[in-house]
Amino acid sequence: MKLAAYPAFTATAFQSRLAYRNQVWSGVFGELVFMFARIAIWTSVFSTVASDSVDGVTLPQMITYALLAGPVLYWDYSRLLRDVGTAVKSGDIAVYLLKPLLYPAYMLANHTGNFLFDLLTVTVPVAIIIGFTVGLVPPASLFHGLAFLPFWALSFGMLFLLTTILGLAAFWLMTADSLDWFFNSIMTLLAGGIVPLWFFPGWLAAIAGNLPFAWVSYYPAAIYIGQLDPSQALTAFIIGLVWFAVLLGVLLWLWAKARHRLIVQGG
Amino acid sequence: MARLHVVIPALVHTFIRSKTEYPGAMVLGWLSQFAAYGSMYTAISLILARFGSLGGWVWPEIALLLSFHLLAYSLGASLSFVQFREMEEKVRIGTMDAILVKPVSTWTYIVFSGLNIGYAGHIVLALGLMAWSLTQVDVTWTGQSSLLFVCYLISAAMIIAAVMTMIGATALVWVKSNHLYQIFFGFWELARYPLNIFPLPLQLLMLTFAPLAFMAYVPVAATLGKPVPLLGDYASAAALLAGPLVTLIAMAHWRWCLRNYQGAGG
Repeated sequence: MKLAAYPAFTATAFQSRLAYRNQVWSGVFGELVFMFARIAIWTSVFSTVASDSVDGVTLPQMITYALLAGPVLYWDYSRLLRDVGTAVKSGDIAVYLLKPLLYPAYMLANHTGNFLFDLLTVTVPVAIIIGFTVGLVPPASLFHGLAFLPFWALSFGMLFLLTTILGLAAFWLMTADSLDWFFNSIMTLLAGGIVPLWFFPGWLAAIAGNLPFAWVSYYPAAIYIGQLDPSQALTAFIIGLVWFAVLLGVLLWLWAKARHRLIVQGG
Repeated sequence: MARLHVVIPALVHTFIRSKTEYPGAMVLGWLSQFAAYGSMYTAISLILARFGSLGGWVWPEIALLLSFHLLAYSLGASLSFVQFREMEEKVRIGTMDAILVKPVSTWTYIVFSGLNIGYAGHIVLALGLMAWSLTQVDVTWTGQSSLLFVCYLISAAMIIAAVMTMIGATALVWVKSNHLYQIFFGFWELARYPLNIFPLPLQLLMLTFAPLAFMAYVPVAATLGKPVPLLGDYASAAALLAGPLVTLIAMAHWRWCLRNYQGAGG
């Protein structure tokens, strides 16, 4: 299938989400509650220290970090995992194999549509509400603001690859339900979405900072608020690209293996 | 009407057998949920390790709060969540009509035909964390205080089951109600932190219309002898009464929804 055809899947996914408008306001509510819980926690713990900043980060910067590392960067990967799991479980995956398309590329196009929908209808309104009620800080500098954009793209790609690799495990396990919980447990701690790595003990920060999960939330958000200088940002980006290439290789290898062992249950 | 002491064990036995048909998936589910909650609690402990306290609560106290929250939720949700989350689908495709004509109470049938043993991982983690935290907090345990603690837990589990029932019952009238669970889990998330870290309007909301402060914060604060915003000395009594009160409201709502059920049309 020609590459130009894939954006049509993105547009279709976006349009199909328009049919479920009540999910938008409940999504906004859910993200707002998530954010207000984080804001309350950071406000409370920052009030216990004598200075305005902790480890060089102020409370407004921490709130901005929480928004970026949470709703903005850590998009709803469960939907992707569920889609792959359901396609394997129901046997629909066989239909995709008959079509002249690369299934992982189709999923990327489809979930880019879902991501854009959530970004425009949920994340941006939540950011505006938080910005007006609590306050958000701008990027630490022009460099940090511009550097955030490629890191954001890398973060999206990294989370997509990690989730799809995990989803393909359903070819062997026949279920993706538990994988969602396992992945959630890893991401909660190691992506830095809830607690940034600079609050980790040194040894744990050193491990987490070199694993690919940190490129999903920690590095992009830390760069936005200026926690990494330009040389550190460049090094982090290069290591992130290496991880991206490795994960892409794993995904393509796994997909080649998976489609040759497909077992469709039932008659 | 069929005898409940025969029907309930039969319903539970049938459901458990259906789940244990896939023991690998079941155990994997328990382990994965254990890992997910364990990871979240580790993240919270990292914040506490760095800052010392959250809203005046130190780590062992927060650990007791988290374990109480998880245990009360597991007990209440095993009787209600998955069962009532499927209510929307039952109404939409008409399965509810078949349940209504069964010679057993509709609520009893729905709850016990889906009694969720999938919460075993939650319960093991909650009991383990609670056992550790109870040895670390400064509480003098007597027969009366132990009994009170168990009653708090039952009351908190009743709140969960009652609220889940109300959301599920709403599908009988609205057809769609699952989006309300998203709102529930928003407050559920807030309920695992000390209430005093939130702004006053949110505190008020969580003690009245969305009473999830009673599922962990109020009973644990009363046990630890910590001041409870807005309730003060009435915290202990309120924690005990909240469960039965919300249950009574849920019963009235359930009956009203059943009386007004008309199917999904068509």
